[in-house]
Amino acid sequence: MDMAEQPRIKLPGQARKGEIIEIKTLVSHAMENGLRRDQNGVTIPRKIINRFVCEFNGQLVFSCDLDTAVAANPYLQFFAKVEEDGTFRFSWTDDDGSTLTAEEKIIVTA
Amino acid sequence: MKGPIAVLRRLSVAAFAVAGACGMVTDSNGAERVKTSAPIAIEGDASPRPWTRYPGWTTRNFSGFNSLASTASPPVALQPRKLDGPIVGDPAIGRQLVADRRRGGSCLACHIMGTAGNADLPGNVGPDLSEIGNAGRDDEWLFNYVFDPRVYNPETIMPPWGTHGVFNDSEIGHIVAFLKTLKEPARFASALDDPRKRPTPEEKRDNLDPLVNPGMWAVEKAQELWKTPGPNGSSCVSCHANPEAELKTWAASMPYWEPRLHKVLGVEEFVTRHAKATTGQVFLMQSDENTALAVYLRYLANGTPIHLDQTSAEAREAYSRGMALTTRKIGQLNVSCADCHSPDKGGLKWVRGQWLGQLRGQLDHFPTWRTSQQSVWDIRKRFQWCNVAIGADDLPPDAKEYGDLEFYLAAQNDGLKLNVPGIRH
Repeated sequence: MDMAEQPRIKLPGQARKGEIIEIKTLVSHAMENGLRRDQNGVTIPRKIINRFVCEFNGQLVFSCDLDTAVAANPYLQFFAKVEEDGTFRFSWTDDDGSTLTAEEKIIVTA
Repeated sequence: MKGPIAVLRRLSVAAFAVAGACGMVTDSNGAERVKTSAPIAIEGDASPRPWTRYPGWTTRNFSGFNSLASTASPPVALQPRKLDGPIVGDPAIGRQLVADRRRGGSCLACHIMGTAGNADLPGNVGPDLSEIGNAGRDDEWLFNYVFDPRVYNPETIMPPWGTHGVFNDSEIGHIVAFLKTLKEPARFASALDDPRKRPTPEEKRDNLDPLVNPGMWAVEKAQELWKTPGPNGSSCVSCHANPEAELKTWAASMPYWEPRLHKVLGVEEFVTRHAKATTGQVFLMQSDENTALAVYLRYLANGTPIHLDQTSAEAREAYSRGMALTTRKIGQLNVSCADCHSPDKGGLKWVRGQWLGQLRGQLDHFPTWRTSQQSVWDIRKRFQWCNVAIGADDLPPDAKEYGDLEFYLAAQNDGLKLNVPGIRH
């Protein structure tokens, strides 16, 4: 069987004000690189996640462009400093224009 | 999806508490009693007929060779062939042929052969042939050893390259000409290339972390399916409201002999037939739904040692048939399960860059996520892949032969704790 469509996110539910937290994200995607051919020699069109964005309360935290050499099921791990309660919003943009999104809340203590 | 690990921990704690409180029957006889009284659909097959191979697998027809279900291979050569004269071959062509991965995986799959193929990851199932040119073997002996080694050694696990049509006479002539040039020990570009020094692979990833193992996503898919009503209006949860407690050991007692079908059923075929009989859902083997449920049912029993009920005469007969199948020579390469996986033969050695494991340790992590395939494979699909890889026709996943084989394999894994879904190359 293949993979589910739901993005995976791992970050602490709570953090202290000013703490640097680790965020892990994983999304299920074939990342077809556009260079392979099928059994009839026809090129399989490129279809990858080409952009990832993470925002916190509407403010950009981390973003990146992805290209053809990225393996299936892109896994991204990064850090963020949190100063207040809020919501991380994640989005993955596909070559076909569609976007997958996910959200995670965090509570910040003094 | 916050902290999937935390969710899993909560589940397993709850399961433990309930199982302890109500004193579940966990002995194998109890498990057997449950299974043989569970409703199952008797009629029909549990996978599509006619069975067709998966997309992307070779479409070659291997019906001219033995499979696990039929006998068709050419007769065994009994006498060496006499040659008309000395071999006329081109060592340069031979050097290419022995490293050609499209021909039965290449000679380098099993032999170190000096500088052939730049000594790139040769295997060590067979002897090192780097100095075969000094061994004083004549052309006829070398030719016949490649054409059909059974004329000299009936116990060999080497394929009969000529009798089974992988190489023709003139190609074998080129290979013999090359073998005669081999007179110096191999030199390896790195220690990894030398199969005697290559470290044994070890799987250390956290296979139960959904961020590490996409196979874990099958568990969530199955938990949704568990609550989804079938055509009869009922769902899994109608009868199994608390699977964490109720099914905490069940999968570790699978497969089992099913008297109503006169065959061995594994988890996957049981799911197909039980769902059909209860909720009316059709979850054929190798469908996403079937595989997800098969992963989940074993996941529920993770940590439980594999132990089969072999008390019935029929179960012991299934064991014997399964054992016999592991020594059955099949396919164009004419090898048996034991030839590659028994430590006194090819087991615990390298076939080119791939490690051949032994039977014990080959089941506790199935179904497993395969990073090279980007999908979850159950043990039946793994059997099918083994078959096709050695040039034998695969059988449908619910074939009774695979049932017997899985039964024997599970018995070889007795006592090993389930750890599903695994993650492997």
